[in-house]
Amino acid sequence: MRVQVDREACVGHGRCYALAPDVYGPDDRGHCEILVEEVPPELEDQARAGEANCPERAINISD
Amino acid sequence: MAEAFQPSDAELGDGLLDRTMNTCPQPVYAAMREHGSVIRMNEHSVLVARHGEVMEALRDPDRFSSDMDAVEMGNVRPLIPLQIDPPDHLKFRKLLDPLFAPREVARLEAEVRRLTNELIDEFADDGHVELNEAFAVPLPCTIFLALLGLPQRDLPRFLRIKDDIIRPPGMATREANAIRRRTAQEIYDYFEPVVEARRSEPRDDLITRLVDAEVDGHRLTSEDILDICFLFLIAGLDTVTATLTCSVAYLAQHPDDRHARADHPSLIPAAVEELLRWETPVPGVARVCRHDTEIGGVDVAAGTRVTVMIGSANTDGSEFEHADVVDFHREGNRHLAFGGGIHRCLGSHLARLELRVALEELHRRIPDYELEPGTVLEYSEALRNVEPLPLTWQVRE
Repeated sequence: MRVQVDREACVGHGRCYALAPDVYGPDDRGHCEILVEEVPPELEDQARAGEANCPERAINISD
Repeated sequence: MAEAFQPSDAELGDGLLDRTMNTCPQPVYAAMREHGSVIRMNEHSVLVARHGEVMEALRDPDRFSSDMDAVEMGNVRPLIPLQIDPPDHLKFRKLLDPLFAPREVARLEAEVRRLTNELIDEFADDGHVELNEAFAVPLPCTIFLALLGLPQRDLPRFLRIKDDIIRPPGMATREANAIRRRTAQEIYDYFEPVVEARRSEPRDDLITRLVDAEVDGHRLTSEDILDICFLFLIAGLDTVTATLTCSVAYLAQHPDDRHARADHPSLIPAAVEELLRWETPVPGVARVCRHDTEIGGVDVAAGTRVTVMIGSANTDGSEFEHADVVDFHREGNRHLAFGGGIHRCLGSHLARLELRVALEELHRRIPDYELEPGTVLEYSEALRNVEPLPLTWQVRE
């Protein structure tokens, strides 16, 4: 599983790293930074939770 | 729940002012979305009801601006950053976002918890409280004063100032706007000497950090800081009050949900999010159409006021599964209670901290309250504040 964030679409709601802090982290402004682009199996649930809670749909998951 | 109904166009127009809309807006939202993506209210205003078009409007500040023409607040200069359009908007958010980012806000948690408990101390042993006056109104205001490094004795003055701007007697009349302008001047007059004092004598507070902040060689002028503080005052206080009262009113009426949260505080953050979605205490945000355009198949002329109904977007079944059910275990919750796009609420992380800590402490200390028998809840217009909110409980010996 791979995760990507659209930096243009992210506006810093911060839901991703609040719910999935091992996959997503905040930059200085509180916008999303991907911590692990290639998501290991044990973090896939976190990755999905971040994607499913992004109001801007800025996170994209691909297999 | 109110029964579903199918209003006529005229009823829909009046519905916004109707008590049903305030108390139980979700079926009204459903009727709006059924009616159309975008509803023309009159010659000068439209209402955006469906999730897709709500996102479209929030994400396109070039067409749908939140500048000074969108809403009357009595201010003589644009509020920063809300009433600033791109490209200038970005330089302010670059400077302000780090001050309100989650890890900065997290440093305030102990102080927020202390102020929360100070207020609860005053009524915990009484067995009853009117939650607004004793808790939901003063809490965000005392936190605001602490954050900005202002004396707590100014609390009554701030409460009056924010009320005179947000809901002056008469609301939309010329007299009300005169009160707004007079109060706005009072805000400028209050903050000006504070900002100058922090320039000469820095302290560990937010105003000092605004004075010191610098991004890409850009610093804030004293006027900028006044325009930022003005926005904090009108955007950061009543919104938290309303969300607290909506949330506690819901939990008072759903004892099983309340008990689960009181027993397991780790469930509170998800409940905060779901109640933000369901209640959407700020149901609509104001925009103004910059030039002739079209949205949701409706032609909208330049100058038209656009009410973007985030409350309706948050209950739109095209975006949320079982949208009309309050589900505290919802897997995905992309709610827009803090708006979306570039004007996403700057204080959202602080608001979430205040809401979480308030609900944690309230339910730790008073887990088993109920509405005072016979209470008929009244939700205020535009900002859904439940007032009065009388609660009772058994005092433990």
